[in-house]
Amino acid sequence: MAGPGAVAPVEHAHASHVARYAIVWIALLALTFATWGLSRFHIPGGWGVAVALGIATAKSALVALFFMHLWDQRGANRLVLVTSLVFVALLVGLTLSDSATRFPLSNPPGSEGALPVGPTDYGGPPPVPPRDRGLTP
Amino acid sequence: MSETTATAAPSFLAHHFESLEKQTHAARLGMWLFLATEILLFTALFTAYAVYRYLFTPDFQAASRDLATWIGLVNTLVLVTSSFTVAMGYGRAVRGDGKGTRALFLVSVLLALVFLGFKVVEYSHHFHAGELPGRLYVSTRLQGPGAPIFYALYFLITGLHAVHVVVGMTILAVIGLRAGRGAYTREYHVPVELAGLYWHLVDLIWIFVFPLVYLI
Repeated sequence: MAGPGAVAPVEHAHASHVARYAIVWIALLALTFATWGLSRFHIPGGWGVAVALGIATAKSALVALFFMHLWDQRGANRLVLVTSLVFVALLVGLTLSDSATRFPLSNPPGSEGALPVGPTDYGGPPPVPPRDRGLTP
Repeated sequence: MSETTATAAPSFLAHHFESLEKQTHAARLGMWLFLATEILLFTALFTAYAVYRYLFTPDFQAASRDLATWIGLVNTLVLVTSSFTVAMGYGRAVRGDGKGTRALFLVSVLLALVFLGFKVVEYSHHFHAGELPGRLYVSTRLQGPGAPIFYALYFLITGLHAVHVVVGMTILAVIGLRAGRGAYTREYHVPVELAGLYWHLVDLIWIFVFPLVYLI
């Protein structure tokens, strides 16, 4: 019968779980300070975004694997999370690559890559509002 | 087999499940399916953020620098710590220590209140400074066309997250109080686990909100 036999491994696992939770917690605090500290250096060329998102991914992996027990609980739960991440990648990736490869005219005025909307766009400090469409005389 | 197992298990077991183990697996799977929809809900907002940050990069960088980074940092530390206390509370439930679960879950609820307190400070600052979404934006600090869009996405993302914090702390309070009254046992504590899963997801979302909104 699984009664008393099943309790012992849980008890044994519990002691190590407390230590594991504490280690993961300290790692999460350290990574939080790390991403904050690195953001103050203004890493050039878009690498700052990559570093920040890389650290966020590492932190969320720690939370999902150890606080949410995906490390111990094999099977369908992992599959659900991985499937949702595939759709996250599809949604963000395809939408961003659409924006990145657009004909410039289809981007909103004032944005990067849009065509200049007026002469002041070449250096004047005042922001350029959307051009008057000629409705006023 | 001990008498508690013999009497407790049937009352927790719904009649359409063969065993308590299968019931627990089904409950976990259902929770994970729900969490997947939550991830996709926030992904829609993150995608909007990504597109507009791509289109208005300098404006978004300026607006992001304008936020109080230390509040974001402190709130991240607070949420991560609350996730840790929830995990420890689940550890107590596994041992059948309902009072321990209650204490640790209530600590988590207090940390969630600290988080929301900082959010109130932040939001009231934005309201007074006129840093509001879309055409409500009246601040003169940032003039670019991207600033009102940044604040629209800022309030949508952090606002929806704050709603999740309120829901999560309500769940933790209810489950924690029930655990303190001895509603769960060493054999049956799946509600404690599912409440914890929800809270960890709220933490997980914030782990991405912090760098996206405050740091880059």
